[in-house]
Amino acid sequence: MTVPQAILGALSVYLALGVLFAIPFVLVGAGRLDPDARQGTWGFRVLIFPGATLLWPLLAKRWAMGARVPTERTPHKEALRRSERAER
Amino acid sequence: MGHSYQAVQWNPNKKRYDALLLVSVVLYLGVFLGVGFVWFPEATAETLLLRALGTAGFLALHVILCIGPLARLDRRWLPLLYNRRHLGVTMATLGLLHGGLALLQFHGFGDVSAFESLFTSNPRWGSLAQFPFQPLGAAALVILVLMAATSHDFWLANLTAPVWKALHMLVYVAYGLLVMHVALGALQVESSPIPLVLLGVGILTVGGLQVLAARKDRQVDGEIGVSPGSDTGWIDVCAIGEIEDGRARLVLASGERIAIFRDGDRYSALSAVCQHQNGPLGEGRIVDGLAVCPWHGFQYRPKCGRSPEPFQEVVPTFPLKIVEERLWLDPTPLPLGDESGSTSGGGIRA
Repeated sequence: MTVPQAILGALSVYLALGVLFAIPFVLVGAGRLDPDARQGTWGFRVLIFPGATLLWPLLAKRWAMGARVPTERTPHKEALRRSERAER
Repeated sequence: MGHSYQAVQWNPNKKRYDALLLVSVVLYLGVFLGVGFVWFPEATAETLLLRALGTAGFLALHVILCIGPLARLDRRWLPLLYNRRHLGVTMATLGLLHGGLALLQFHGFGDVSAFESLFTSNPRWGSLAQFPFQPLGAAALVILVLMAATSHDFWLANLTAPVWKALHMLVYVAYGLLVMHVALGALQVESSPIPLVLLGVGILTVGGLQVLAARKDRQVDGEIGVSPGSDTGWIDVCAIGEIEDGRARLVLASGERIAIFRDGDRYSALSAVCQHQNGPLGEGRIVDGLAVCPWHGFQYRPKCGRSPEPFQEVVPTFPLKIVEERLWLDPTPLPLGDESGSTSGGGIRA
């Protein structure tokens, strides 16, 4: 097997696993991570399917850990965290 | 967000934007093919379609890359920014069609798989004139498809705006790859200088606008910059009344811009970073008592930094006080949603 064949083979496996993951994710998993996705329309579920296929390891980890919508890390929100920690 | 996701939250502006976009793309493809058939009768329909799709996508990418800096330089360009994601998805679709057609036409009928052929059929990596330019286009397409696939607000919320933005900054890598794809590919067999000139104009336009916008941002940060002690202790911002009613004065503190909005005689300090795409909230204005981000119209209550129901976005707020008719800001953020920071010109005195 040549190097390009090996890379393309690995990519194919990654994407195939992504498709298998994305089906239950758009139906159930997205709503577990983000409450706003629970009642999402079918159009919304179709639109996030490609992204779920591409980013499946990240999403699978977050779904398995029971994670919710994360809080963004901006300098001011980090400053808020620091000041809250200092007050405790 | 705070409401159920839909495929697209349509409104009249988005419908107009998309209709104009669709008409422009169809018109461009039609004119390109029509003129192509007349000027290049020897070219096959597949080749002309390939070039029509490729140039349409590349042109759309230039427009996308120009919209951001143009809107930074002049607010009149903001309407183009409003639905830029749809333009991005359209551009990625044009690229996919171009790439798919090229894959089929040049690699689809050999002994090895089309994808393997794409990366192995031309090994002349050391040649400028015959460089394997197609893998460059394929790499760019992977980035553009990743961006299109993560363009929905679901991804913005679940990756968070800073991560989402960093991911979407890869567009500049894609642009560089596409410039090389064109320069090492189509331009190598082109006898007319016009495509080369057009490519040069495109690069200079994109690069020039980015430099001008960055310079303006640095200038703004320079103007609003405060002393090194700006992360702790009260900062003397300006005299009350110096801020235009309905607008904000920016202060650089705690690592980011803070927007001090004036709504009549009430002053409120908000983090100037919109939670949606980290837009420049401080360049927005007060509309119906809400601070509105100029990029996509996300709204925040100035007193507490929360978006009105059912939305759940919230930006940090900061304490303000008025001492001898001057406005003072404490750059330590208040707990999220806290309403105690704002002050009125006729009210609190320290």
